[in-house]
Amino acid sequence: MDFFILLFTDPVRFYNSHELLIAQIGVNAILAISLFVTFYSGQLTLANAGFMAVGAYTTVIMSLYLPLPLPVDILTGTLLAGAVGFLVGLPVLRLRGIFLAIATIGFVEALRLGVILNVPITGEGQGLKNPGADPLGGIVPILVSLPIIAYLVWRLTRAKLGHAWAAIREDELAASSNGINVALYKMLAFVIGALLAGYAGALETHINFFVDPTEYSVTRAIQILTFAVAGGTTNVLGPIVGALFLTSLPEIIRQASAYRDVVNGVILILVIIFRPQGIVAGGGFAIHRPHWWPVNWRLGGRTASTG
Amino acid sequence: MGALLQLAEVRRHFGGVQAVDGVSLEIESGTIFGLIGPNGAGKTTLVNLVTGYIPAQSGSIRLGGDGGAAELARRRPDVIARMGVARTFQTLRLYRNLTAFDNVLVGMHARRKHDTLQQIAPLPAFQHEPRARLAKASALLERVGLKPDEYGMRRAGTLSYGDQRRLEVARALAIEPRLLILDEPAAGMNPVEKDKVRDLIRQLNADGLTILLIDHDMRLVMGVCNRIAVLNFGRKIADGSPAEVSADPEVITAYLGRQAEKSGAHVPGAGATTIATADRHGSRAGAAAKPSGRMLEVSNLEVAYGAIRAVREVSFGIDEGEIIALIGANGAGKTTILNTLSGILRPRAGSARFLDIDLTVTSPDRIVRHGLVQVPEGREVLARLTVRENLELGAWVRRDRQAVHREIDALSSRFPILGRRRDLPAGQLSGGEQQILAIARGLLAKPKLLLLDEPSLGLAPQMVDAVFDVIRQIHEEGTTILLVEQNALRALEVADRAYVVETGRILLSGTGAELRRDPAVQKAYLGG
Repeated sequence: MDFFILLFTDPVRFYNSHELLIAQIGVNAILAISLFVTFYSGQLTLANAGFMAVGAYTTVIMSLYLPLPLPVDILTGTLLAGAVGFLVGLPVLRLRGIFLAIATIGFVEALRLGVILNVPITGEGQGLKNPGADPLGGIVPILVSLPIIAYLVWRLTRAKLGHAWAAIREDELAASSNGINVALYKMLAFVIGALLAGYAGALETHINFFVDPTEYSVTRAIQILTFAVAGGTTNVLGPIVGALFLTSLPEIIRQASAYRDVVNGVILILVIIFRPQGIVAGGGFAIHRPHWWPVNWRLGGRTASTG
Repeated sequence: MGALLQLAEVRRHFGGVQAVDGVSLEIESGTIFGLIGPNGAGKTTLVNLVTGYIPAQSGSIRLGGDGGAAELARRRPDVIARMGVARTFQTLRLYRNLTAFDNVLVGMHARRKHDTLQQIAPLPAFQHEPRARLAKASALLERVGLKPDEYGMRRAGTLSYGDQRRLEVARALAIEPRLLILDEPAAGMNPVEKDKVRDLIRQLNADGLTILLIDHDMRLVMGVCNRIAVLNFGRKIADGSPAEVSADPEVITAYLGRQAEKSGAHVPGAGATTIATADRHGSRAGAAAKPSGRMLEVSNLEVAYGAIRAVREVSFGIDEGEIIALIGANGAGKTTILNTLSGILRPRAGSARFLDIDLTVTSPDRIVRHGLVQVPEGREVLARLTVRENLELGAWVRRDRQAVHREIDALSSRFPILGRRRDLPAGQLSGGEQQILAIARGLLAKPKLLLLDEPSLGLAPQMVDAVFDVIRQIHEEGTTILLVEQNALRALEVADRAYVVETGRILLSGTGAELRRDPAVQKAYLGG
């Protein structure tokens, strides 16, 4: 409760005392958007945690060894993540659905266990200290980037690119009969997703003093998926709301913080049952009535029609 | 004009099945070319070879043009589409969750410049193109007979079957094709709607489009095509003008069957045959009205999809041992009624009782166990299971294993297509074969009341006869039948009573014979 009282009575103090939380929400929102882009083209990929690691490690290693300004480091990290995305996409994008998801999990784990833990420059299992970290200054680029990225992705989904993605998501064969080069557009979505995830990873290093390999495991990948699914994947607002909601929840219910994962899980299950399209999606505030729900129990004051 | 599409000795086999076996064709530019043949003859496979979904194993496919012919074999489907070959799909493949407008806009993909920058900076100066695109999309919808205001913003999956077919044509036209391949464009439409399809095809052709038409409606195919080729077992057995082909004895035995003589009844002016058959069945209707209990009682049923009320104040009843037909245009709400009865949809108001259970609250699986089985529209078979496994699943609710196996054997010999393909995955069957499988699967559940939704959809004339024979036979064995059928004439022939559904309401009811004589019904649904 304190959380909301502070938020509404004294937003400035709220901002100052929750700056790290707000920065984390921003990073998570960008990550959720990166997943949304691939999801929008019908691909279930969990590789984003890996691309994030590429962005994060590149940025930190560059700032450790090269006297370049930070934006250059971040840019390099982002582009490298995109390049890795392209290389990973070449073999992986032949797969569909759950097979793609499993292959991308394989990539995330191979990158973490195979590369990061074995290459000396990454600090191996110890992680890396980031001397240039600036938690208070780091929030600014995050809060500036998020709306820009959200706007760009929103416009992309309205452009020729987005129409092609939607067509591929709905029916690949029909899409190719409409002259859409399915492999090309899938790859575009995958690389754009990788760029965004790499960028989010690079930004995140700036608010943490430490890059830790355990941050970039499958757990993180699934967390990102959760943001997008809970928020809704019909438009770009969904993943943002999902990230906002699920990142701030542990703060709101501090008393129950020991049960944080339980609460997260319960909320996700409720969303999937009663709001399968996600929190932000079509259908206004309609609540889905599962078929096993007794007919004469009312839900939210209206009976939803089955669809 | 020269040939637009040339096929020479094209071959493709799947395992041991020669789907297309050395077919050579030539489609003249500016003509309408018909491709007919029994279910499973290889028509759709041939289209898939032309459009590049399946690579040909040998032979050449050449698309003619101003700058000489280009080889299509071994090109990607999207490249072939951009070269100007557009198609529709026998089993609909719309982007079901996108609006009708968006479906057409996606269709324009190949003819649309990259507009990412314009979209990112939506300045007024950049708004001209999107507006032109929208105007063009609504013109295309209008052209195929879908009112853009009414249907444009609806999700494609919520449109009725016939409207989805129209939308597919609009989407194919959006690519501005040189060759348009229509795979059963009139399936699931009633005669009046079929006439509209025919007019549309003629009009598109008059505007200079070359069309390859596959359909089982002989009136349509014979009426519009300049030239027709007939396939059987992957081989071309005839090629010529409509008159030549329809007189060819091999074509009559392989494809047209009894329907060849009957098709006279569909031609306007041949009313005498219609009346004669009507009388024959008129007496039958009386004989079937033996005293029996009420099986299904529907009253004041109302079903809605969101704000759209698809079915309103529908009341009817079915007695044990009857065949009842629901007829009406596409989008009238017939399938919605069936889906409500089988528990897939829940009504907003009204009641539906089957024997002693309330259909509005009982779960679909329990409704099936009580003996109400639906054969859905559009062949929903389990694609990865074999034909036999599909059939066995149909009998899931039954205990008498022995009888089931006997019946499967009987059905396999009645429909040799199923017998031959018994161990193939159902997904590899042709569209028509899947339809037969779906019907056979429904029969195996040994229902008390069988709901048949468009059983003749996509079937060759010969096969339509076989299906209606089976319907009569299982009816004689004691199954009550509720039939939804666009082939209204055939439906009224077999039905004891029929209801005419229009815009979600029951407009008329009567015996099959009465309705067939009703001038309004004739005009609206029989295409008389």
